[in-house]
Order: sequence, then structure tokens, then C-alpha cells
Amino acid sequence: MTDLIFGLVSGVGAFVLGSAVLGRLLGPQAAAVLSYLASLLIFLAVVGGAKALRSYARGAHPEEKHGLARYFSFDVDHKVVGIQYTAAALIVFLVGGLMALIMRLELARHGLQFLSPQQYNSIMTMHGISMVIVALIATAGGLGNFVVPLQLGARDMAFPRMNALSFWLLPPAVLLLLAAPLSGGLDFGWTAYAPLSTQGSTVGKIYFFLAFITAGFSSIFSGVNFLATALTMRARGMSWTRIPAFTWSVISAAIIQIMGTSVVAASLIMVIFDRILHTSFFNPELGGNALLYQHLFWYYSHPAVYIMILPAFGAILEIIPVYARKPLFAYKLVIASFLAITALSFVVWAHHMFTSGMWMLLKLPFMINTELISIPTGVVFLAVMGTLWRARMRLDSPMLWALAMTANFLIGGLTGIPLADAPTDLHLHDTWFIVAHFHFTIMGGAVFGFFAGFHHWFPKMTGRRLNEALAKTQCALMFVGFNAVFIPLFWLGSHGMRRHVADFPAWMDPVQTFASAAALLVAASVVLFIFNVIRSLRTGENAGDNPWEAITLEWKAPSPPPHGNFKTPPVVDRDPYDYGVASKA
Amino acid sequence: MKNKSVVPFMLLVGGAIAYGLSVIFKRFPTMPPAASAEAAFVDSAWHGLLVVEGAVYAMVMAFLLYCVFAFRARSRDEQGDKFDHSRGHFVEVAWIAGSIALTLALAALGTHELRRLISNPEADIDIEVRAQQFSWEFYYPRFKQFGAKLFLEKGKRHRIILTSKDVVHAFWVPEFRIKQDAVPGKAIPMIITPTKTGEFTMMCNQLCGWGHTDMLATVEVLEHEQFEQALNSEF
Repeated sequence: MTDLIFGLVSGVGAFVLGSAVLGRLLGPQAAAVLSYLASLLIFLAVVGGAKALRSYARGAHPEEKHGLARYFSFDVDHKVVGIQYTAAALIVFLVGGLMALIMRLELARHGLQFLSPQQYNSIMTMHGISMVIVALIATAGGLGNFVVPLQLGARDMAFPRMNALSFWLLPPAVLLLLAAPLSGGLDFGWTAYAPLSTQGSTVGKIYFFLAFITAGFSSIFSGVNFLATALTMRARGMSWTRIPAFTWSVISAAIIQIMGTSVVAASLIMVIFDRILHTSFFNPELGGNALLYQHLFWYYSHPAVYIMILPAFGAILEIIPVYARKPLFAYKLVIASFLAITALSFVVWAHHMFTSGMWMLLKLPFMINTELISIPTGVVFLAVMGTLWRARMRLDSPMLWALAMTANFLIGGLTGIPLADAPTDLHLHDTWFIVAHFHFTIMGGAVFGFFAGFHHWFPKMTGRRLNEALAKTQCALMFVGFNAVFIPLFWLGSHGMRRHVADFPAWMDPVQTFASAAALLVAASVVLFIFNVIRSLRTGENAGDNPWEAITLEWKAPSPPPHGNFKTPPVVDRDPYDYGVASKA
Repeated sequence: MKNKSVVPFMLLVGGAIAYGLSVIFKRFPTMPPAASAEAAFVDSAWHGLLVVEGAVYAMVMAFLLYCVFAFRARSRDEQGDKFDHSRGHFVEVAWIAGSIALTLALAALGTHELRRLISNPEADIDIEVRAQQFSWEFYYPRFKQFGAKLFLEKGKRHRIILTSKDVVHAFWVPEFRIKQDAVPGKAIPMIITPTKTGEFTMMCNQLCGWGHTDMLATVEVLEHEQFEQALNSEF
């Protein structure tokens, strides 16, 4: 804990001092870049990176820690890292959610209620980037770090120190990001298209890019770790076709993290260079190309949404067999479809660019590939439907969340079809139809999937049960509220409501007011959730090792598992979803 | 309800809802009234897709709701039926085959409409639309002059050439449907053939900075004589 405090003080101090001193020599933006790099390294070193490097060089085991303080320290136990990621994701979710509430309040009526266009743009940009970060880290980073080594029967991840490093890259990134709108505002949305994002000289914009790049490195290290762990640390008897669906989904997401993130990092570094070194990557007057940014950005950012959704698919496909008491239907086909999605995700990016002015014949292959990716995505629905058929369902809260996620993602996926179709997208691009579509897939799909996994694995992570009545109420409230907010937005979008605007024609008022009111239901459900978590952590019922009577390996360890997870390394002798089938033991 | 009757039940429910949706959408349009010839290509693809989406949604939701009500555990000891592997494989293959067929059909539909949209580059009238932060300028080569409004002639094909002075903007009139980004360093053509007279609002449709919300312009579509009159009096 003291390391963290020293780390924060020295890091922030170095940043402020560096910015002030170098600011005069190099200008505020270049000073910010150099100061941030130095302060990030100082923070990482002081919070525990230096100790970790020394122990690694000496060949010593990293220190084992105990008690609550380890959650505020550089602890290499994957379970601690998983809980740190989950807590960080929830905190950033609250920040992004607050931004959303402010936006919905402003948008309740036409005209500007209490925000200037500049303030609205900054808040909207912060909402976007916060939620993108949450969707990327909550399930894969939070639940994944905790659960995957357990599901594989491993003692920890392949690279425990790097795991802690992945997490500790995030607090500096989030702090810097929070400072960004306060240092000149952000007018470019989370997609930050050049040349708009290379314009102007306020320093907050540089903070945005630096934070984004930092989070990208966190993601790459995390992906390498998951892949290495799955390749080398599976328990005896755990063949590739016995790995649970959730772990397979995190493996697939890890492949995308490794293959895609560096490209967006390159595009963001090019923006920083255009801003501080006056290069002209995106400046056509000096030989650059504005479309280059869009290609590089979307080359990662489309696969990124599969990083968001694959672990959510994995979570619900993990959950449904347990509560349906039936094997996962089409399990092998599901694995194949996760890998197909991973591969196809890299060849669809320009469906974000149908109106961009790129060569017009490019519309065709990107349209076709985007429509093709619906085939493996559909397999997820096949698996859900086939598992529920002739099941014996227990409608505990994780099952309800999984069903809600399925209903939401059905809408999200189906509304992707007119967006894949280039002619219809020419009308719908950059309207609220898109906003509704990605909220249904990311919030309705990935976030609801996160809540499903959270409610399922909370007993394992903490040793306590969440209150079921509160959890079911929260699920119902969030489901109804969320659908009430976003279904009308499809209609508004096709009728002319543009993205990224603070105002709209007066005739849209009834629908907008309704959506803003429904947003309060979503907010209420989040409050219920926080209350449930805090209360359950303090006085929740004891969970026992296997409250849901599941078969996968994580339920064979105590709740919560000790350092090293299993007393003796487990041996796998059955498929992961043999519910209703006699054990071979 | 017998297990075997689920598939015909789903098809019936799906078909009924698809039909119902098509009736509803005629009464409560999902798009603003079309005002360009290009809108026809967009709208025919849009309505076809809506029917497919609605039917698939209805069938899957019907199945899920059926399962939630019919397959609940009565006690915590119950296990589900051990499912029959051979039938399972048939279902998987059928599902994949069906989704491939549906996807190819949708791809064919989209390709067909796309080719109709981009196949003909001919135009009767050229206009340059210049975007900048945060206003529009309309240049009429015939008069070698700038105008404050965009005048279009009903029934004629206009080649609108989009340029930008600074950042990426976009040209969009919802009633005309198709939109096009204006990119600095490029001159991008788009063809608009208005089919209705009247006044329309053109909006910048790509976030371009603080003033994006109010970057609007007026488009006036006129019959031939009024069009000539308007341009001559403007310049």
C-alpha cells in the first residue's frame, strides 16, 4: 500500500514538474509526452515494478502477500490482479455512466439545456473512451484473469509479474484521461479522426492519446499472458477440446489483442507526431492522407469489439449449461466459431468507412466479409438455443443475466445487418441507428455478459453469495430500462438524428424525453448493484466451494482459492459440460 | 406443447410477426419520406432487411420464451435430458447451411443495390459543395459563383463534388438517403437525383469540432423554370 502511495506521489510529481520545466523549452504538448513517459516509468518502478524486476533477475519467487492491502499493491497472484481489474472496470464504468446521465439530461429536450457544445463534446468523448475501456477490460481482464488459470487447472498465469504490470498500466492511463477534458476539452469523440484530432494546441488532447496508447500496451501484455498460459499450463488431461468455452473465448480475444492493438497504437503515435513534430501523416497539404488514420484506427477498433464480446459469449455459454443442467450444445462448433470470428474480424474494418471516400469498389468485399461474420456469430445463438432445449432450468440470477444478454445481443446482431449492407449504411452511417446498434451489442451484450459472469463467479472470487433477490431485481430493471432507452434511438437515427450532436429538431422531443427518463431506470439498477456488492462483501452468506454445482475446474478449488489454487495439480477425466451424464470417476 | 411442434410454431409466429411488422411500418414509416431516385435503392434493401430481421427476431425470441416456460426445473435435483448426439449434428449442419444460405442471399441483395447505386457516373448538372469548419459553400461552375443555398432541379442528375478546407465533414440530407464524407485533399463525387420539390435541411454528418451541431444548410429543390429563375436571380 505504501508503494502505491509513493508511486502515485512520485509519478504525479514527476509529471507536473516535467510539464512545467520542459513546457518552456519544448511547448506544452511535447513536454506532456516526455513527462508522461518518465512519470509512467517512475510510477511502475515505485509501485512494485523495480522489486519485481530484481526478484526476476535473481530467479527468486515473487513475494506472497496477504490481507486487503495486497489489492492496492503490485501483487502477482492472478486472482488479485483479476479483482483489481474488476474493481477498476467498475470504477471507470461509474465514471462513464455519470457522463451518460449528464448527456441524457442535456438531450432530454431540443435546444441546449445546461451544456455548451464544447462541454457536451468533451463529456461525450469521455463517455465513449471510458466505456470502450470498460468493455475491453471488464470480462477478459477482470473475470478472465481470475477464472482462466483456475479453469485450466494452473497455479497462476504463465507470466505473473507481467500480469501485475498489465494491471498497473491502467491507473496512470485513467488518471491522465480524467485530466484530459479539463485541459482544453476534447472535441473529437473517442474515434478521434484526423485531421480534426491533429488540430489545435491544447494539451488535454495529447493526454487522450497517451492514455489510449498506455491502455493498448496493457492489453497486449495481457493477451500474451493468456495465450502463453493456455498453450503451456493446462492440467493433465485437458485437451484443447476440453477447455471450457469461457477460456476459449478469452484465448480468442487474446489473439486479437496481440494482432491488432499495435496498429491503433501506431495511428495514435502518428497523431502525436503530427501534433508535436509537425510531421504530416494526415495532412494532405503536405502529402499526407486523412483516410490513412481511419484505416489504421478501424483495423484495430473493429477487432476490438470482438475482444469485448467474445469473453461475454464465453461467459454466457459457460453459465447456461450449469443452470440448464445440460451439456453445452454444439460445443466444438462454438470453439470453431470463436476462432472464425477472430480471423474474420480482421477483414471487415472498412464497413466503418463506406461513406469515407475510399475507393468505391472496396465497399463490396468489406460488405461481404461483414455479412459472413454473422455466420459464426449465429452459432452462439444455436448453442444457447440447443442447450436450453429440454433443459431443467434453474432461474438463478446468472441464468437470468445470460438470457437477458441473449435477447439484447439478438437485437444488436440483427441491427448490424443493415449496417453491413452498404446501400442502407449510406443512410444510417453516423446516425443514432449506429449508436443504438453498438449499445445493444456492447452494453446489451458485453456488459450484460459481464454482469452474468460477475454474478456467477462472485462466490468463487469472494467466498460469499450475492443477494439473489436484489440481483434479479437489478437484472430486470437494467434490462427494461436499457431496452427502453435504446430501442427508440433506432427510429430516431433512421429519421435523421446524427451522432455527436448536442441538439436536434423539436419534433424529436417526446422520444428523447422518454429515453432520458428510461436512463434513470438504468442508473437505479446500477445503484442497486453497488449496494448488493458492498453489502454482500461485508455480510453476505458463505458460498462454499461449489454453490452452483458446476463441473469446471475452478469449482474444485476453495472459495476463494489460496495461493497456488489447487493443493495437488488437478487431472481432467471428463468433458467440461457433462451435466446429466454420470461421472467417469 | 409437444416438442416436435416447436419448429412449425416458430415458422408460424415468425411469419405472422413479419407480416404484422410490414403492415406497421407502412403506417409508421421507418424512414423520412424519400425525395431522391437514389433513395429507392436504399429503401428497397432496407425494407427487405427489416422483414428478415423481424422474422428472425420473432422466431428466436419465441423459441427462447418457449424454453424458459416449458423447461424449468421443478426441483434442484433434476438434470436435463442427455441429448442425442446424432440429431445434434444434424441440427448443427442444418443451422450452418441455413445461415450460409441466408447470408449469401443478403449479400446478393446488397451487391445488387450497390451496383445500381454506383454504376452510372453520368450527370446533368455539376455543383461543388465546399465544407469548412463550420459552414457550407456551394459553387456553381455554370456561373462561376458561390451561393448560400444549394439549389437542385427536380428530376435532374446532379454531380455533387465534395471538398473540404480543413477536416473531414459529410454531406447528408436524410430524405435523399445517401451521404458522403468531404475529405481534405480529395474531391469526391456523388450523384443526387431529387424527385420532390421543397425545402430540405442538409446536415454535416461527420464530427468536425465544436460547431458540428449547427453546421447545417438549406437545400431547395425546384422545377426547371423556378430553378433557372432562382439561379439567375441569385447570381
